[in-house]
Amino acid sequence: MDRFSERVAAAEAVVNRGKPDGVGWQGRRQVEYHERALRTARFSMEVAMRRPLLTFVLISFLLPPVFGARAASGEVATQAYALPAGGGPHDVAVGADGIVWYTAQRSGQLGRLDPASRKVDLISLGPGAAPHGVIIGPDGAPWVTEGGTNSIVRVDPRTREVHRWSLPEARGYVNLNTATFDKRGRVWFTGQNGVYGRLDPASGEMQVWDAPRGRGPYGITTTPGGDIYYASLAGSHIARVDPDTGAATTIEPPTRGQGARRVWSDSRGRIWVSEWNSGNVSRYDPQTKEWKAWKLPGDSPRAYAVYVDERDKVWLSEWSANAIVRFDPETETFEAFPSDRPGANVRQILGRAGEVWAPESGTDRLVVYRTK
Amino acid sequence: MWLLAAGAVTAAWLPRTGADPARRGERVFQRCFACHSVVAGEDGLPGPNLRGVIGRRAGTLPGFRFSPAMIEQGARGLVWTRATLDAYLADPAGFLPGTEMAMPGLSVADDRRDVIDYLQRSSQQSSPTPRRTP
Repeated sequence: MDRFSERVAAAEAVVNRGKPDGVGWQGRRQVEYHERALRTARFSMEVAMRRPLLTFVLISFLLPPVFGARAASGEVATQAYALPAGGGPHDVAVGADGIVWYTAQRSGQLGRLDPASRKVDLISLGPGAAPHGVIIGPDGAPWVTEGGTNSIVRVDPRTREVHRWSLPEARGYVNLNTATFDKRGRVWFTGQNGVYGRLDPASGEMQVWDAPRGRGPYGITTTPGGDIYYASLAGSHIARVDPDTGAATTIEPPTRGQGARRVWSDSRGRIWVSEWNSGNVSRYDPQTKEWKAWKLPGDSPRAYAVYVDERDKVWLSEWSANAIVRFDPETETFEAFPSDRPGANVRQILGRAGEVWAPESGTDRLVVYRTK
Repeated sequence: MWLLAAGAVTAAWLPRTGADPARRGERVFQRCFACHSVVAGEDGLPGPNLRGVIGRRAGTLPGFRFSPAMIEQGARGLVWTRATLDAYLADPAGFLPGTEMAMPGLSVADDRRDVIDYLQRSSQQSSPTPRRTP
C-alpha cells in the first residue's frame, strides 16, 4: 500500500468509526480533522492519477525540501500502550532505565509499565489515594504528589515499598498537584488550594508556604540553573521561588486571565507556559524579562500540558482538538498529532531523550512519541 | 461545572464523626475549592461559580466557558438537582463523558450528601465566607 493509500485508509477508518450515533463532541472534532485529511489525500491521489507528469515534477522539485525539513526536525513514530481499565492515568514519568511510571488517579495506584514487554504492574498507594503527579527523583525512584491522602510519596522501584511524608495536619487539605526536584535533592510541590512547599527527604523536614495570591498553584519546574517556577491556573500568573528562602515572586504573563496551567524550562532556562484559558503557549525569558506568546492552532484551543524536549522543541496537549502539538520555536510552527481515539484527555507530558510520553486519561493508555 | 478539583475517591482524611454537618460539608468542599467558589461575584476561576447551582440548567452560567459536552447536556435538559449532582459527583466522567472536570469522583455517599448540603446552604446565605479551611 502506497503512502497516499495508507493515509486514505487510516482517515477512512477514523471517519467511519466516528459515524455511529453517540459519538461525543471530541469524537466529532477528531472526525472533522480526519475528514479534512481524507479530502486532501483523495485530491492528491486524483492529481497523481490524472496528471502523472505534473506529479513527477512536483515530487522532483517540491517534496525534497519538505522532507528535508522533516528530517531535520525528526520523524515521529507513535506507539500506544493499553493499561488496565479504570485507572485514569493522570501523569507519567520515564526513568533512565526506560521504565515508565504513571499515576492511576481513579484507582488510587501507581502504575509501572515496561515498554519492552508491555507488562504493567500496579502498586496500591493506600486507602483514599488519588495520585496526581509523578516524577523520577535523582535516586531513580518515582515520587508522587498524592492528592488523596495529602502527602508526598516515594515508591522504591525495586521493593515497591511505599514511603509517605504527610503534610502538616494544620494545613488541611491542599489538593497536591505536581512536584519537581531542585539541585540539592529537595522536592518542591504545589497544592492547588493555595500553597507550595518543600520536602527534604534526607532530614524529613517539610515546609509549606501560602501562595502569594491564594488558590491556583499547578505545574512546577526546575531550570538548568536550579531556579524553581510554578504556574497558577486560578491565579493566571507564574511565580519564581527562591530555593533558599522559599519566597515566591509573581510574574505576569501578557495575556490577562490566561490560565497558566503548567510550566517547563528549556535548555536556556526560559520558561514555557501552557495557557488553558487563552489557548496560548507563552515563553518567559528571565534574562530579559520578556514574554512572547503564540496561539495554538484551531478555533478554540485549550493548552493543558507543556514539556520541552532535549532539542528544545515544545510539546503541548491541546484539549479541544484532542491532539498532541509540537511547537518549533525556531520556525514558530505547530505540528499536530491527533489521538486515534476520541476523548484522549492528556493532562501532562514528560519524556527523556528521543521519547515523549503522554498519558491518555480518557482512554486508559500511555502513548509515546519517538523522535529518534 | 467542571473541575471540582483533583480529589480522592473518598475524603478519607476527614473526621466523619463528631463534626457538625455544616462543617463537614465545608471540609469536603476543600476538594472543590481550587476551582470553584460559592461566593457571589467570585468568578474567573477554572470552574464555574457554584452559588445557586441547584436548579440551574447545566452549562448555562453566563460568562463561563463550559465544555461542549456540558453545553450539549444542558441543551438536552440536564438540570442540577440533588439527585443529578449526586450522580455527577459519584462519577463525573461516567455521568457526563467529555466533562472537563478532572476530579475522579467522591465515592462515599455521605461526602456527596454533605457537600451538596453545603452548596445548598451557601446559596441561601447572603455572603458565605470565602476561605480555605484547615
